[in-house]
Amino acid sequence: MEFVSKIFAMAIVAIFVQNFVLMRFLGLCPYIGVSKKLDSALGMGMAVIFVMTMASTFTWLIQSYLLVPLKLEFLQTIAFILTIASLVQLVEIIIQKTAPALYKALGMFLPLITTNCAVLGVAILNINEEYSFIEAILNGFFAGLGFTLVLILMAGIREKLDKSEIPASMKGMPIAMIVAGCMALAFLGFSGLKI
Amino acid sequence: MKYYFRLGFVLLVITVVASGILAYLNSITKPIIDENNRIAKEEARLHVLPEAVSFDSIFVYNDENVYQGKNDAGDVVGYTFVASQYGYSSDVKTMVGVLPDFKINKISIIEQKETPGLGANCEKPEFLQRFDNLSEQGLLVDKDGGGLKSITGATMTTRAIAYSIKDGLEELKEKVDEEK
Amino acid sequence: MKLMKEFTKGFIKENPVFVMALGLCPTLAVTTSVENAIGMGFAATFVLVFSNIFISLIKNFIPAKVRIPAYIVVIASFVTIIDMVMHAFVPALHKNLGLFIPLIVVNCIILGRAEAFAGKNNVIRSIFDGLGMGIGFTIAIIVIGAIREILGAGQLLGFDVLPQTYKPVLVAILAPGAFLVMGLLMGLMNLKKK
Repeated sequence: MEFVSKIFAMAIVAIFVQNFVLMRFLGLCPYIGVSKKLDSALGMGMAVIFVMTMASTFTWLIQSYLLVPLKLEFLQTIAFILTIASLVQLVEIIIQKTAPALYKALGMFLPLITTNCAVLGVAILNINEEYSFIEAILNGFFAGLGFTLVLILMAGIREKLDKSEIPASMKGMPIAMIVAGCMALAFLGFSGLKI
Repeated sequence: MKYYFRLGFVLLVITVVASGILAYLNSITKPIIDENNRIAKEEARLHVLPEAVSFDSIFVYNDENVYQGKNDAGDVVGYTFVASQYGYSSDVKTMVGVLPDFKINKISIIEQKETPGLGANCEKPEFLQRFDNLSEQGLLVDKDGGGLKSITGATMTTRAIAYSIKDGLEELKEKVDEEK
Repeated sequence: MKLMKEFTKGFIKENPVFVMALGLCPTLAVTTSVENAIGMGFAATFVLVFSNIFISLIKNFIPAKVRIPAYIVVIASFVTIIDMVMHAFVPALHKNLGLFIPLIVVNCIILGRAEAFAGKNNVIRSIFDGLGMGIGFTIAIIVIGAIREILGAGQLLGFDVLPQTYKPVLVAILAPGAFLVMGLLMGLMNLKKK
């Protein structure tokens, strides 16, 4: 029971209290770049959840069974980014071969994910926070979920924004930033939640 | 086939060279980093217990050593321990210096990521001074009916600091009494 | 003369942050104070210049197929170097920047310059390009950092610059402030362009 409540608390923290995009500032490039249309936001979100969960799994294993026993912790950054890059490639090839429909939906987002700092961010955070294997995987999954949530919310708002009157100089990026700021204000309300 | 070997070979060479350079730099910087950490901890201890000239670890509390500070003559002048509790948005870690009569000598914050401008004000000397000379009974925050004035707009941070120190003090008292 | 152009284009015309909107994560995350911004700017410039030099040197030996992974290894190595050096010699700053030092690896500015410039140009031009882009990035985050620190804490580089009666607008140094200041600055840049 204690385990379940701990996992629940972790989910709330990763999705709301310490939201990766709005509170930790991770994964901003896709958040601003891929939030113009709702369906592409959904595709990107799904791809990120998948890669973040996988990346958490593999980087944790590499850190615990390769880098630490061999005392190569200083190679962490290189090892993690290479793991993520090859993982993304692998996922791309597998999906392409086995699920063409899914590939059509996610394919174009996969290469972008390698340079999504939320993925490398969650991998390093899992190690810094000294999470166990299961916790690391779940943290990766929840963080991806939090990312997807705000990405979809943002896409919904921006689709509406397109139709509203905005000063010409604020169109596009600037107004997207302001909207993100307002969303961050709202999410600030979650901090200090006693869990 | 030969082409793919070349691909792998080029990547291998780059990675090996990079790892070699990093390993060399790591061997230079690692001792400096460890030394810095050691000095930082020692300075934090000295800051809260300036009378001490030597520190001996007496037991482990919260994964951190609890030290007994002695002066030149070898008399015990106090203890230091690290208190830690979740405040508003982060773990707040405090270094606490305690006199032999279990009154607080001085405290300092060693780690916190509380809200800037509110909870983060716990690092200000005006707040830290409120703990000087407090005993265990004095560690009750004003919002809970005690006399310890909390930081404006950051009661939860104040509580985390006060009550984590209180827990630590209790543990310290118990352990020291056992020794006697 | 041409070199000068490679050097200065990153300052304003092709400013990586305001004009190209690259490297947003560190831009918003570490700009709670000018001190952090300077540290981050320095670290990123170091990585940018050295990875540009190396990539431009080895570009002819790298088969096109493994270009990106090879670049990533080079960049990650320099990031690790600056990470270790900062940890050893400026531990306080290293602690403040925290996670965002290793994350320089995935900063789009650096991989972007490697791919778009250093992989196609000679060493001297790549150095100037890297230096210029790095300085442009640094200027941008110092500006944002300064605005947030003045509004949010009434200070600049830790010194009080506004009268004691000024009540800090806390939101400026909290997370939402980063987005709001960035959005308004980008709008201002657009206004100037017209």
